[in-house]
Amino acid sequence: MAKVLIVDDASFIRVSLKMMLERNGFEVVGEAENGTVAVRKYLELKPDLVTMDITMPEVDGVTALKSIIQQDPAAKVVMISAMGQESTVKEAVIAGAVGFIVKPFKEEQVIKGLSKFR
Amino acid sequence: MTGGNNNSPVLGLFVFETNQLLEQLERIILDGEKAGGLAAAINEVFRVMHTIKGSAAMMLLDNIAELAHALEDVFYYLREEQPGEVDYSSLADMVLSAADFIRNEIAKLENGDNPNGDPAEMIGSIRCFLQALKGCGSDQPCAAAPSVHAVQYYIGAKKPEKAGVNTYEACIFFDEDCGMENVRAFMLVHELKEFAEDIRYLPPDVLDNDDNAEAIRREGFRLYFSSRNTLEEIREFLDRTMFLKSFEIQPAGAGQPPAAKKRTIDLEGPVPEASAPTAAQGTDGTQAVGKQNFISVNVGKMDLLMDLVGELVIAEAMVSQNPELRGLPLDGFYKAARQLRKITDELQDVVMSIRMVPLAATFHKTSRIVRDMNKKLNKQAELEIVGGETEVDKNIIEHLSDPLMHLIRNAVDHGIESPGEREQAGKPPAGKLRLEAKNAGGEVWIMVQDDGRGLDREKILAKAVERGLTQGIDNSLTDKEVYSFILHPGFSTKETVTEFSGRGVGMDVVAQNIEKIGGSIHIDSSLGCQTTITIRIPLTLAIIDGMNIRVGRNIYTIPINSIRESFRISGHRTFRDTGGAEMIMLRGECYPILRLYERYRIQVAAEDLPDGIMVMIEADDKKICLFADALLGQQQVVVKALPKYLKKTQGIAGCTLLGDGSVSLILDVSGLVGGMGSGCCS
Amino acid sequence: MAEALEVFPDSEEDTLSGKYLTFSLGSEVYGIEIRYVTEIIGMHTITEVPDLPEHVRGIINLRGRIIPVIDVRLRFRKPPREYNDRTCIIVVDIKGMAIGLIVDTVAEVLAIAEQDIVCPPQVNGAYQQRFIKSIGKVGDDIKLILDSDQLLSDGEMAGLDGF
Repeated sequence: MAKVLIVDDASFIRVSLKMMLERNGFEVVGEAENGTVAVRKYLELKPDLVTMDITMPEVDGVTALKSIIQQDPAAKVVMISAMGQESTVKEAVIAGAVGFIVKPFKEEQVIKGLSKFR
Repeated sequence: MTGGNNNSPVLGLFVFETNQLLEQLERIILDGEKAGGLAAAINEVFRVMHTIKGSAAMMLLDNIAELAHALEDVFYYLREEQPGEVDYSSLADMVLSAADFIRNEIAKLENGDNPNGDPAEMIGSIRCFLQALKGCGSDQPCAAAPSVHAVQYYIGAKKPEKAGVNTYEACIFFDEDCGMENVRAFMLVHELKEFAEDIRYLPPDVLDNDDNAEAIRREGFRLYFSSRNTLEEIREFLDRTMFLKSFEIQPAGAGQPPAAKKRTIDLEGPVPEASAPTAAQGTDGTQAVGKQNFISVNVGKMDLLMDLVGELVIAEAMVSQNPELRGLPLDGFYKAARQLRKITDELQDVVMSIRMVPLAATFHKTSRIVRDMNKKLNKQAELEIVGGETEVDKNIIEHLSDPLMHLIRNAVDHGIESPGEREQAGKPPAGKLRLEAKNAGGEVWIMVQDDGRGLDREKILAKAVERGLTQGIDNSLTDKEVYSFILHPGFSTKETVTEFSGRGVGMDVVAQNIEKIGGSIHIDSSLGCQTTITIRIPLTLAIIDGMNIRVGRNIYTIPINSIRESFRISGHRTFRDTGGAEMIMLRGECYPILRLYERYRIQVAAEDLPDGIMVMIEADDKKICLFADALLGQQQVVVKALPKYLKKTQGIAGCTLLGDGSVSLILDVSGLVGGMGSGCCS
Repeated sequence: MAEALEVFPDSEEDTLSGKYLTFSLGSEVYGIEIRYVTEIIGMHTITEVPDLPEHVRGIINLRGRIIPVIDVRLRFRKPPREYNDRTCIIVVDIKGMAIGLIVDTVAEVLAIAEQDIVCPPQVNGAYQQRFIKSIGKVGDDIKLILDSDQLLSDGEMAGLDGF
């Protein structure tokens, strides 16, 4: 079962994602509400996959992504972005994100997208 | 949409979180205005709008999402372009009315109504505002926004084919609704670069023009590249790409893009605005807000839990202090009982802390009212909030909000004068409005104070006579008694009804609401100077550390935190002051003595001071010594209110159940100390 | 703790009307409309509360609820009497407030037909009279029917204003 770390500052999104993932055979091993916590939890939990929100308080998603990739170049981080963040997503892609999902997302979309990394 | 989004826990969370964000937003805006401009708050507002947009879109609340999006655009522009001249006042109005709209929609959602409000007008004016900003705000016209974008990811076709290198031609379709197809194409190219070269694609400006998303959706993304990898390996690579619906790939024979579609890439052309640089996006150092995990709980369940824990505490005491165990050698039992005790204590603490809510959120709601009223009434009331961290029970907070709003409205509307009037009276043009909360003994005091025109004793009295509340002009009435007439139904000395405070809800309703939660209202004022309205709420629901004392057959509980020391009288000097009050001299200071058996007219108690014990208590910086028969020991007690039937028993704050099921009265330390006159005579 | 006797917990409102719980104070028998009565309990340990009128004896712990208790004898300015094992507390619910009434002893539940209920005679100056709503005739016996609202009338609710 793929272990997933969910990073998002909105707990509503975290819970939605968690429910979607757990219904579909992913194991959500942790949640983080900002970039700092995300990096710490990544190192602690070693998840197979991270879903990373971009806009977050304190440390944002792209910075966290860079930090995670630096420590684990094989990390699989999928960005969660909103419309209008194209250039930030590009930056994330260059920094090593393995994919991205655009909000608002649907369950089948998330599952199909993330299944590539199971 | 997805099964997960419309069920109630998620909905509840969405409502809760969005409401929190709105509250935060309001605070940011109001604080920003106070600090002289929203400039510092741009990042935070942007982030809040962004989050609301995302969550609302997930909930299929398009009206909210669009509205938030429109504002997000404005703040995005403000952040990135930092235009010089911005009408922050109108912007603040727009954000606040948007917040109201969203809150209203969410309320509908919560009530099971259809959130069908139409924000089109608001969005329109927000767009106009943005347009106006773009028109004159920045130094350059927007079309020529600085283009950090000159970095191109296009790798031109220039090299001749080499040996062992295959050329491929691919057409790729992404899943519908996966979003940002152009960025997906970008990503594909980015990853392809690791093992391919001479990469060309159609549409050619896909990487920089976000408008291409639609074209890719329709016609697919065409790629031409050369690589040493085999066709199979390339297929595998494409298979791993997220949201890739289908692709065709073949070795390119005449592997060139059709000439007709070949276009030159115009690096000089205007960069579309939507792709303005966002390297800084999200690196904003916004402050952490309530990011914990929350659940909302039915207050009824909390009440039940509270009662059960209260009963558990009593049951625990009944078991572990059972008289039948007396004298039995039960070391193991007592060890286990201590552990049980520890756990019940902790459980009690947790339950209590769950129920306690700081007043800050309720207080901050008032700043919005003050702001709006200032604008409408052309007044300059400055609100100062003190003691927002003071906690009261959840039940109480709910009943406090409306009365508080009403008092604040009254203060701005009737209390604080217009700047002109104030200057005539020799006051600074800006009025001061102070909202303060503090713990005072067993009560929480909430004070609303304004330095406005004050209450007019004569006018109130005249009106009271007119209403038949009192007979004739009675000069023996104290000011406080006169002021409290304004708490009577239908009493208003204000002839005109204003929009804010005159909606048929008067001070009488405020008074009733406060009385419902066992509180009281005290009014103090001086004409032309100030009015202070104090709401006193008993801390009825609380667990305190108490010291049980015995007086005769009665047991009383004193809150530990007000006990300074206890001691036996032996050779201490006691004497009576000129007024006959009994005092004790201790370390050079003297303290009044309160003999509880006298105070409470209890028989068969120790009457000679050396036979009993002295407990020194302190409240409001005054200390007195209570004389009791004996100390019985310390325990945590659940404070219960005395039955309403007995209300206003002086010196008693409430009662509690003891281990044996009997009831002990909790002493109201501040009432006892206050009733003793001045404390010190050294 | 004394056993509680539930009074018709399942009874419908209709079947309660016209029924009275009777209790005695010395030789006099009083009735109280059964719809006010929630339960009858034995004597409990009473915690005295200072500064109350004499008839308000204090508070008791009724399964975690704190309720005030009133000595009906003292309320009617009759001489006090030692509590014994026949002394009962009738727990009534009046205007949403639970209050215990201490009485010498509880007698029975009686149905009194409407035509057997008459207004009390006007006797000037009788203090007790203010608490008597009507008089019920059961055979040759007279039952004084209490005005429950008046028993704890608003003036009395404040506790201190009673006298």
